[in-house]
Amino acid sequence: MLEKIFLLLCFSSALANQLCKPDASDGYKVRISLKTALGDDAYVWNENEMFFFRSTLAFAMRTHVSGQRFEVSNIVVCNETPRVSFWFVVTQPQNLSQLIDKEHVEEAIRKSRSRINSAFLLTDNTLEFIGIQPTLAAPVEPVTPPWLIVFGVVMGAIAAGIIVYMVSTVVRKKRKKNEKTNGDDTDDETRVKTIESGRAADGVYNLSFADDERL
Amino acid sequence: MGNQERPKWDNPIQFLLACVSYAVGLGNVWRFPYLCQMHGGGGFLIPYLIMLVLEGVPLFCMELAVGQKMRLGSIGAWSAMNPYLGGVGLASVVTSMYLCLYYNVINAWSFWYFFNSFQSVLPWSDCPVNANQTGLLEECEKATPTQYFFYRETLNISPSINVNGGIHTSQALCLLLAWIISYLFVIRGVKSTGKVVYFTATFPYVVLFIYLIRGVTLHGALNGIQYMFTPKMEQLANPNTWINAATQIFFSLGLGFGSLIAFASYNEYNNNFERQAIAVSVINSGTSIFASIVTFAIYGFKATLNFENCLERSRMLLLNTFDLAEDSITIDTVFDWITKLNATYPEQFAQIEDKLEVCDLESELDTAVEGAGLAFIVYSEAIKNMPLPQLWSVLYFFMLLLLGMGSMLGNITAVITPMRDFKIFSRMSTEMCNGLVCMFCLLLGLSFTTTSGNYWFTMFNDYGANFSLLFVVLIEIITVSYVYGMNRFEKDIEDMLGHRPNWYWKIMWKFVSPLLLVAVFIVYIINYIQGGTPTYMAWDKEQGKTVVMEYPVFGQVFIGLLLVSSVSCVPLTALYVFCKKRKQGRHDKRENVLSTVSA
Repeated sequence: MLEKIFLLLCFSSALANQLCKPDASDGYKVRISLKTALGDDAYVWNENEMFFFRSTLAFAMRTHVSGQRFEVSNIVVCNETPRVSFWFVVTQPQNLSQLIDKEHVEEAIRKSRSRINSAFLLTDNTLEFIGIQPTLAAPVEPVTPPWLIVFGVVMGAIAAGIIVYMVSTVVRKKRKKNEKTNGDDTDDETRVKTIESGRAADGVYNLSFADDERL
Repeated sequence: MGNQERPKWDNPIQFLLACVSYAVGLGNVWRFPYLCQMHGGGGFLIPYLIMLVLEGVPLFCMELAVGQKMRLGSIGAWSAMNPYLGGVGLASVVTSMYLCLYYNVINAWSFWYFFNSFQSVLPWSDCPVNANQTGLLEECEKATPTQYFFYRETLNISPSINVNGGIHTSQALCLLLAWIISYLFVIRGVKSTGKVVYFTATFPYVVLFIYLIRGVTLHGALNGIQYMFTPKMEQLANPNTWINAATQIFFSLGLGFGSLIAFASYNEYNNNFERQAIAVSVINSGTSIFASIVTFAIYGFKATLNFENCLERSRMLLLNTFDLAEDSITIDTVFDWITKLNATYPEQFAQIEDKLEVCDLESELDTAVEGAGLAFIVYSEAIKNMPLPQLWSVLYFFMLLLLGMGSMLGNITAVITPMRDFKIFSRMSTEMCNGLVCMFCLLLGLSFTTTSGNYWFTMFNDYGANFSLLFVVLIEIITVSYVYGMNRFEKDIEDMLGHRPNWYWKIMWKFVSPLLLVAVFIVYIINYIQGGTPTYMAWDKEQGKTVVMEYPVFGQVFIGLLLVSSVSCVPLTALYVFCKKRKQGRHDKRENVLSTVSA
């Protein structure tokens, strides 16, 4: 009796080993980069972490493959390396020798990817499932492109400046007109102008002489 | 000349700052560092400084003297020097007009990048996600995010100059803004320009200084600075080095456009332009060297970053292929491990051999880029990796804006000042006249914002100004030294300054500068002829990189037109004046005959 149980255990583990091997058709390779993700705060990858990983995968399978209660023992892991990479396959809950299809496994992992990542404090890049592409986050499209906002602000400031300038010009012209209508000032202005032009004539180089020289 | 007195600068400082603002432009930031790198780093300073003394300062001073003496724009000034050579001024105006058309497009790009810097994540730091969210956009993956942002989102560039498209609205809006601001700067002529240059001439130095401090404190910056300043003296034996130094000094100072003549024409008669010429030239060259230190610090940072990323990728590849523990290979030991693994697992190593990149710091530093590519692609790539990239991005593009706008002031003034010397335009108010010019340039400039617009921009940039400027300045210096006469020129300067120019100026004006210009001119012509069909760089969407393409026939015809239209002004005007004088001479002779008979 004992021998039979022993044989059965050996057989099942051998079967499990046979099911899980590198490049298995229904298996996936996982690669974990702890030091890259967490640096000095990285935890050590040991048996307990592996148990945790298998349980999260079982959780993912339970949630997204309807009807079947997956256990931790249904996730078979093999070929662990110091890199922290390994292969896993998922067996059916009822029949330990049958594997779940690749597509179902992929779908389950894809849908629970963010939960699995956050369970291990890792990201899509540092917890890799080789063969399963992460769905990239949808781009956040703001209603108005941000550059247009800044453009609008600058244009508005310039428009305000132009309006201020034009108003000040109009106000200045009105003030000049008011002064002119007073009358006395105009004579002073013309006198001032002639004096100014006279002074200018003294200082400006008279080009007409230069022309004669050249010709 | 109109009835009103000629407007003046409020004080000589405004004139000095206007010249500095005009001369110190984008070329100091993106052309000089490239030349420095191409021609042996620190060693390039030797030919550069020699050319500054032999060619830059004398020609600069000559243009200022002509403008200040004649007190007219370029057309009027050269007509007054010699009636047959008024075409030189006209050629300057035509070239300045071409420059006005395309230069503000660069300011439009600076505005675009400046506006886009006000975001939490800079848009050129990551590739956008593709339509079904399975990966990144293909075009962006093949190129880099910064290249994608420039060629696709900024320019929306077409595959070649033949393929046309509509106007890119965002670019058109930015160009409109650039022209509105340019118009506001020159709205009242020197009165408004003089106030603006206080800011546009000085603030870029503030930003450059801040960037210098930021730059040299970046990781790996010293690699770049060391690389730049280790002189490679053998480059001095290469004649191209000297020609490039001469050309760079020439274009960097903005000679031949007529802007300097225009600026100087608003001076007091006795303004000491000699000292100002030396000051501006030295400031301009100093700024070039200063900017190249900053640029090389940034280069060093970027190259070191790329090198370390390359090493990291190699490290990950090795770790993943051989399933080693993560901390067994560090960045420093990557190369040792490569040799070790190659020896111990040759077959497995052979499988990844083609995926393994060659990481070399020297080759990363060697990638020399110039022009718009440097300013908008390489710099923005470096900025996105800095801590607090939004701040640095805003500062940098604001500085580019100031440099570009400052140069635009000179360009627009070079076109407007000669125009206002003619009676038709002097009757209009300053605001109206300047507004018309800006509106005209804006409308034509919109064609540079179409999908193939960047190729037309490159054509204008490469062929619109270079050849004609050399020609114009050569004719200018020969006119001043030989046709007008060095004696008369000396007397004019004595009249203005109170002393004759000393032997340095006379030797440079009469012999050295013209000879240098002739040499550069001949080399240019030889390069044009030997260069074969003119080519341009087109952006290939599929490959994600630029490819060399030849200009089609209409493109080559247009290049010819660009060159001929400015150069031909000189002979055509001479011919026109000759015919007019002959007609007038005949008319006068007839009148004289009549008068003697009637007397």
